[in-house]
Amino acid sequence: MKQTEDNTQDQQDLRLLRESAQTLFARAGGSDRARKLRDAGGRWGDGMITELAGAGVFGVAVPEENGGLGMGLAAAGVLAEEAGRVIAPEPVVATIGLTIGLLYRLCPDHGMLEKAIGGETVLATAWQERGAAGVAPGRDCRFAGGRLTGAKAWIAGAVGADGYLVVAEGDGGAVLAYAEAGAAGLNVEGRRQADGSALGELSFSATPAELLAEGAAVEAALAEAVSDTTALAAAELVGLSGRAFEIVLDYVKTREQFDKPIGAFQVIQHRATDLYVMQEVAHAAVREVLSSMDRAAAGPQARARLASRAKARAGVAAKKITRDAVQLHGAVGYTDEFDIGLFLNRALVLSAWLGDDTYHRRLWLDARDKEGAER
Amino acid sequence: MTDWNAMTDEDFRREVHQFFESEYPEELRHLPHRPTFAEVEHWHRKLHAKGWVAPAWPAEYGGMGLSAAKLLIFYEEQQRWGVNRGRDMGVQMVGPLIIKFGTQTQKDYWLPRILSCEDIWCQGYSEPGAGSDLANLRTRAEIDGDDFVINGQKIWTTMAHDATHIFMLVRTDPDAPKKQQGISFILAPMDQPGVEVRTIRTLAGETEFCEVFFDDARTPRANLVGELNKGWTMAKALLSFERIFIGSPSLAQNALGQLEVFARGRGAFDDPVFRDRFAQAALDVEDHAALYSRFADQLKRGETLGADVSMLKIWVTECFQRITELMIEAAGPDGGTIGPLQVGNVSVDVLASFYKARPTTIYGGSNEIQRNILSKAVLGLPG
Repeated sequence: MKQTEDNTQDQQDLRLLRESAQTLFARAGGSDRARKLRDAGGRWGDGMITELAGAGVFGVAVPEENGGLGMGLAAAGVLAEEAGRVIAPEPVVATIGLTIGLLYRLCPDHGMLEKAIGGETVLATAWQERGAAGVAPGRDCRFAGGRLTGAKAWIAGAVGADGYLVVAEGDGGAVLAYAEAGAAGLNVEGRRQADGSALGELSFSATPAELLAEGAAVEAALAEAVSDTTALAAAELVGLSGRAFEIVLDYVKTREQFDKPIGAFQVIQHRATDLYVMQEVAHAAVREVLSSMDRAAAGPQARARLASRAKARAGVAAKKITRDAVQLHGAVGYTDEFDIGLFLNRALVLSAWLGDDTYHRRLWLDARDKEGAER
Repeated sequence: MTDWNAMTDEDFRREVHQFFESEYPEELRHLPHRPTFAEVEHWHRKLHAKGWVAPAWPAEYGGMGLSAAKLLIFYEEQQRWGVNRGRDMGVQMVGPLIIKFGTQTQKDYWLPRILSCEDIWCQGYSEPGAGSDLANLRTRAEIDGDDFVINGQKIWTTMAHDATHIFMLVRTDPDAPKKQQGISFILAPMDQPGVEVRTIRTLAGETEFCEVFFDDARTPRANLVGELNKGWTMAKALLSFERIFIGSPSLAQNALGQLEVFARGRGAFDDPVFRDRFAQAALDVEDHAALYSRFADQLKRGETLGADVSMLKIWVTECFQRITELMIEAAGPDGGTIGPLQVGNVSVDVLASFYKARPTTIYGGSNEIQRNILSKAVLGLPG
């Protein structure tokens, strides 16, 4: 009985949190804001981070003893969906999943965690490196004697961040280090993305940095944080495709040709239905993944596999739904004036970030084979 | 009498599974075709003795009286163990209709005979001119004294050649203003001069579908169930639970299991292209199961399902087909070979699976009809 009451309480807390995120995003202008910020150069520093932090968004999945709300990934996913629905340019998912995910696991007592949860500082996490043909398999970026040397790539929220969490190779294995924005020898470049945002490329040459954690714990925490972020990116995609579907459904009901709404034509109806079914499957799958990842029994390997499942599904669905939504809009779908294109562009960026559906299906099947062999 | 609904879901699942595991004949597991009654009679007797022939019927009529939640578990276990549903048209279709709309006399007479399979039923709904547009049916039943006189033709009547009775939708008022009106639900014996059954050979080479011709066939007026000319609404009222059943993941899950065994045995998993297509199919099944449990939870909370449940059927049947197509591909040059193909110590009949998947997007309301339903009833699209 106790459990039921707790569940109800959790549900209520979650609803409140969702509503406050919705209100904040709506008050700021919804998806119109995404367009304005994009046109203004892709910066997000307009106070939204502070407001989201005030609502508790960034600490949602952090355990209560570390200053968070302790509501788990499922709750974080609901917020990610809301961010996706308005194409929020803030790095909500990267902050919750990577930055805060690493800090609470590796250095919960460092003041940086509290500041990140409180939105006082916005940090970007640099963990991937560019190799000859995509993501580098190893880690070349070095940390020694309090200094970083090397380069990092695909960093969400890098441009405009107050500082960087950097995963580098130290003398005793992996290292998590902190480098301030503007530190000596640090160069930040933004690669402009389809949606107007930027993914950062960092280079360090003997850049002074603070050691936050090292050793196997860093590898383990990184794996967990990447799984979390991957699954949350899937939730953001599901929010995005859900909203894109609403927009296109509304459009086919109102746009008239041959003296009737184009939604009266069966071919349009069936295509719309297929998008709807795809969206519902993606939504159910991502929700199920996030709850499964919250369960204590899920080990790191299983969590990674679950995250891949979510990202694969959400990526396929969001790309298909936004592409088809452009088609169903007809010529105006190809103009920048109509919002639907913003969703397509965001879907392109989000589905490529942290690996697209093909990549995650491969990881998923490899993990499934491996678990099968171990059994 | 056991109150199954009072058990926990886990206990109930275990109980059902144990019964199937210990009692169901091994040679009938995952039967690739629809059996005649003779093939499954022995199993039916066991079920009957156990009181498990009609899981969904209320206990007062000899059923198990299961709640929607328990019923779902029962069916899940049944499908997981590959337990054939037997000749269950009586239990699934006509019984519930008699329970809901029949007179006491009809209940007392027909229900026990359904449970014991003394009567074996087939369903006479579709006609050559009334498939997806079922309300277009033309088979006439005219009142003549104490009888109905039936003239017309039914088609796709599953296992009619092995049935003793047919329940059917017939036109009793050809002048009704709407074609959905003027349709009645009647019961008729098959063994009479005015009824002729011809089997239809399918793509799979099986003969489970039939045509049934009525030429002045007769049935007593007492065999009208519910009110005259109200058959359409009655038949539709019973479809709600069937909609989730027809969208259950089990067919696709079983096929995926077969595909995996077969493709591993054939070395297809070394091919990265095959791996990706397998992963797509496997995730399609797994993610469908997530959506299915959302609807199942709705049933468990005692809510009625809306028209949106149609999406389960669309997704899972199309996914089932893709899986069986992958099986054929994995078979390589053996892809057109009739009969079981040996891989290691198992054998897989890839063609049988392929054929089995084809009609799933056609029966129970074709997937195109399901899309029409979704677009109008759920998405609110005009026209």
